[in-house]
Amino acid sequence: MRAKHTDLVDDLNRLMAEEVEASLRYFQIRFRLRGKNRLSAERFFQDALKETMEHADAIANEIRALGHIPRLQVNLALDGTPMNPSDALAEALEVEQQALAAYKDFLPQVMGHPKLEEFIRRQIAVETEHVQEILQVVQSAAPLKLVTKNAL
Amino acid sequence: MDTWKEFEANELTHSGAHHLVAIEQVGAAYGGWARVSDIARHLNITRGSVSITLRALKKRGWVDTNDHHLVKLTGDGLKAVRAIGAKRRLLRTFLADVLSVPKSQAEIDSCKVEHLISHDTGRQLTLFLRFLSSGAPETKDLAERFREFRRECPKTRTCEVCHGLCLMDELKHAI
Repeated sequence: MRAKHTDLVDDLNRLMAEEVEASLRYFQIRFRLRGKNRLSAERFFQDALKETMEHADAIANEIRALGHIPRLQVNLALDGTPMNPSDALAEALEVEQQALAAYKDFLPQVMGHPKLEEFIRRQIAVETEHVQEILQVVQSAAPLKLVTKNAL
Repeated sequence: MDTWKEFEANELTHSGAHHLVAIEQVGAAYGGWARVSDIARHLNITRGSVSITLRALKKRGWVDTNDHHLVKLTGDGLKAVRAIGAKRRLLRTFLADVLSVPKSQAEIDSCKVEHLISHDTGRQLTLFLRFLSSGAPETKDLAERFREFRRECPKTRTCEVCHGLCLMDELKHAI
């Protein structure tokens, strides 16, 4: 059954907020990083913030294609305590896993909307890959050697 | 006085308190278990944000998660929620019924400080409310006299409360 048009737009707005908020988190985390592997982690978050903002932009375009203007609600207050790269990555993993779960939950709603369905499936593939990348680094005791898709 | 630092270091943040209460409310129909997505919708924030806050609450031992990524309050978390609820009710009653603050404002203000006041203050506030509602003639008289008390500040702008700095004047600058 096709979801109501307004429900789709509401859910897309929520997905966009997830991406924008993640981007802001990554923007700020770069300046909190301290200790070993700080520079490689900084590069990772630099790429990640760019990528999440690109995702937000893509969702905003989908909302526009549906004839709506994106609505954005983000409530974010980030403290300035230093972070080591592993804690920062663990936080990024939480955020990315939630974004992936949000896309997966949204997929059944877009069945019957071929263009949107294709977009969401693509996002799921990209986010899955991203989560796997971070998970590998978080779970291994090896030093950080982070390379995002964009850098490949 | 470094009390403001204590405020900053308060182990349960305002956001944390709202998350705990939300878990209880959302999970009520599911044996206490709540989904991150439902908590996010309930609080009207992102899943990412909920997830980050939950990490901190889990570290403090207030919430637990299962293999299905569901969240539940621990015994300590439930106690914290009950304490928050009790303090909110106390403050709301005190502000609305004793100080005659409009109910909507009393609700907002009690929400802002519910998790910040100490147990000692909460206990004393309970005692005071019990004292006022004890039915003794002098307490009835006290409550009524306060409701009728609308005395203007003296022209000197000083009294036994202000000690030279008129607090009513200062409150006019409140944000």
